[in-house]
Amino acid sequence: MMPILNRYRLGHVTQFDYDGPVSESYNELRLRPRHDEGQSCLSFRISTDPASRPAAHLDFYGNWVHQFHILPEHRHLRVESEAVVLVHPPIHPPPSLMTLSELDAQSESLGDEYFDWLSPSAYCPLVPEIASLAAEIEKDCGGKVYDFVHTAENLINTRFKYQPGATHVNSSIIDCLTSLAGVCQDFSHLLLAVLRSRGIPGRYVSGYLVPRQSEDAQGAVERVIGGQASHAWVEALIPGAGWMGLDPTVGWFVDHQHIRIAYGRDYGDVPPVRGVYKGHAGQSLSVDVLVRPALDDDGSELLKETAAFPPPKPPVDGPPPPPQQQQQQQQQ
Amino acid sequence: MSSAPTLSPAPDPGSSTLFQNYDPAPFFDELVAPDGQPRPCAKPMYEKLAEMPLEVYEERRKLADLSYLVQGITFTVYSDGRGTERLFPFDLVPRIIARSEWETIERGLAQRVTALNLYLQDIYGPQRILQDKVIPRQLVYSCKHFRREMAGLHVPKDIYVHISGIDLVRDSKSGEYLVLEDNVRSPSGISYVIENRLVMRRTFPRAFETSEVLPVDHYPAELVKILRSLSPRTGERPVIVLLTPGLYNSAYFEHCFLAQEMGIELVEGRDLVVSDNVVYMKTIRGLNRVDVIYRRVDDDFLDPLAFRTDSLVGVPGLMNAYRAGNVALANAVGTGVADDKAIYAFVPKFIKYYLGEDPILHNVETFLCSKPNELSYVLEHLPELVVKAVGESGGYGMLMGPMSDKKTIEEFREKLIADPRNYIAQPIVPLSRCPSFDPSKGGMSPRHVDLRPYCLYDGEKTTIVPGGLTRVALQPGSMVVNSSQGGGSKDTWVLRGDE
Repeated sequence: MMPILNRYRLGHVTQFDYDGPVSESYNELRLRPRHDEGQSCLSFRISTDPASRPAAHLDFYGNWVHQFHILPEHRHLRVESEAVVLVHPPIHPPPSLMTLSELDAQSESLGDEYFDWLSPSAYCPLVPEIASLAAEIEKDCGGKVYDFVHTAENLINTRFKYQPGATHVNSSIIDCLTSLAGVCQDFSHLLLAVLRSRGIPGRYVSGYLVPRQSEDAQGAVERVIGGQASHAWVEALIPGAGWMGLDPTVGWFVDHQHIRIAYGRDYGDVPPVRGVYKGHAGQSLSVDVLVRPALDDDGSELLKETAAFPPPKPPVDGPPPPPQQQQQQQQQ
Repeated sequence: MSSAPTLSPAPDPGSSTLFQNYDPAPFFDELVAPDGQPRPCAKPMYEKLAEMPLEVYEERRKLADLSYLVQGITFTVYSDGRGTERLFPFDLVPRIIARSEWETIERGLAQRVTALNLYLQDIYGPQRILQDKVIPRQLVYSCKHFRREMAGLHVPKDIYVHISGIDLVRDSKSGEYLVLEDNVRSPSGISYVIENRLVMRRTFPRAFETSEVLPVDHYPAELVKILRSLSPRTGERPVIVLLTPGLYNSAYFEHCFLAQEMGIELVEGRDLVVSDNVVYMKTIRGLNRVDVIYRRVDDDFLDPLAFRTDSLVGVPGLMNAYRAGNVALANAVGTGVADDKAIYAFVPKFIKYYLGEDPILHNVETFLCSKPNELSYVLEHLPELVVKAVGESGGYGMLMGPMSDKKTIEEFREKLIADPRNYIAQPIVPLSRCPSFDPSKGGMSPRHVDLRPYCLYDGEKTTIVPGGLTRVALQPGSMVVNSSQGGGSKDTWVLRGDE
């Protein structure tokens, strides 16, 4: 029997290059994976160049925030984080039979309990296009909340084109609705807006996606999303059944290949890196993310193997070690 | 400016007095009883003024104005687009409050401030009040001043609101004082209270001999005592600073005034730097650790890392230092979730919930536009109501139904329908009036007033300087007292006794 591959080593490198000297740089990081019922964060390490002493706290939603500052002048800033995460095999509850009209009957109490997950937010405003999308989905879904959620996920996955560069990091869903194209952030915001407009609580999740094997039918998607950047998806609350992960970008069930870092109302609550600095210089940003299966809870063997990990830059083009090989090692 | 004017009044019983044809009806008058006679507390001052010839009064008024001008006691009006500084008009006739009445106000304010602090402690802590459904979570969470960053953050001595200005009005119908608004973010105006008293003492030195007026000038000493007690470094002499947005702020005069009176540094964001979660002040002798910040910068602009990244007046990393417990802020961040005008409607319930007491001071009846049935009532009665935007202050974003034309009312109707959570409505309270000098008449006319007492809370007791700022709507008939909307101020006297 094949063991479930559920330990991962994560590396995340963010590098800012400035045109000129900057100073008094203060930053907030949301990079430490959550440690909750869905996954265990076995280790986490963070370092910066120039060096700093990051301090951590939990935010309103229980996400880890590391903050650090660099006062002297510098021209580059590099943030590296490494984590080993154990993803618990997801328990898929039987599909909830709750109907949308039963949901409506609870709308007042849901509205009170899940205010943040039901209200429009800066990136997910309630615009007329969303209301008509929601109406279209409702017509096709057969009246069940569970089916509404999946129909919504599918519709966004098929109708909108995955196209890096179609939108930018500060785009709200309006840009994506106009161009019918976007990236995982936009698709997640769209799905959230649709769910919330129909009274279904939804939250934005930032995290990592473990690339699937290349023979997978999703190969095309993998090249774009897998391994090279952080990912985003959605969790929807189905009353009585609990939170359920939905990935409108790849159209998969969210399972143990999704590693959660943080969740919030939208991207604005959970950017991986956010900061301010003094100086007139412009900046360029490069991000590199590596997700590898790990051998054990320490990820120690792989650590040795990749002593120079993560690579300074630029991003590695080749695929991460094929999961097949790691599975074999685990069997040894 | 140190010597008092030497003019002495020359009573001339033969000529007409300043109070000729003074008619307090139909409103409650603070100084004059319905029969036209002065109230007992106001009698000595009333008689002094009544005896005063117009020329003498005018002379004193000019002296008083000059005194404000040379001291640069000004404020800035934002909405006229010019950013000009103006004198805050001052009316020489004091508002006089009898001791027994003041004691009720004082108890009511102390009760309210205590409850507001308990509410904030709860909202940013266990949220018992939400679980017990005394106030809907939606109302709290949708408040734009609810700071999720404050959840679980321990503030020194569990005090959120150290300084508050609670606006009171006296309802002419019942003669009762009502709370109109709570101001628990960065209330301003206390400098006028102190300066008005100073000017009055110069202008009417003898009046203070006949009436025993309780002093107000100990406010800065009381405030600095509280600030000092918040210092995270015990055993050291705390370094306290006043953080101002800078000289373009409408209350910049007050920031300078208070810093000077308290003997603390006046700083701007760029004067402070955070390193390893400790706040330092940049001085010519290097960095100097700061323990307590009396901040007069709004939450939004306080820390560009935590809040608005475009803020140039804040201190990056300040929230981290605050969270680490290395610096105290007064008031705490996030207190605006207590003075939101929709939350206001629930304050009597807070008093009951947290203190198990009945409110001593009552609220003005308030309609929440977020409730559909109340919204439809409001929409039907717009011309009779006052509508206020919940997160605004200073009289901005407000509709006075009876004084507004059809077009303005219709504009508000649309705003209310588009964003009901953002508005509340209240019936117009017939504010009490106080004699005020009327230049067109050359004598006294009644003008509407409110009262903003300033409360200091140290975690155990509330200290309130007797009186507060009386604001007066100087336009005939107007009930809008905000300085930004053409209001003026008066000295407020609380007497040692009732007469």
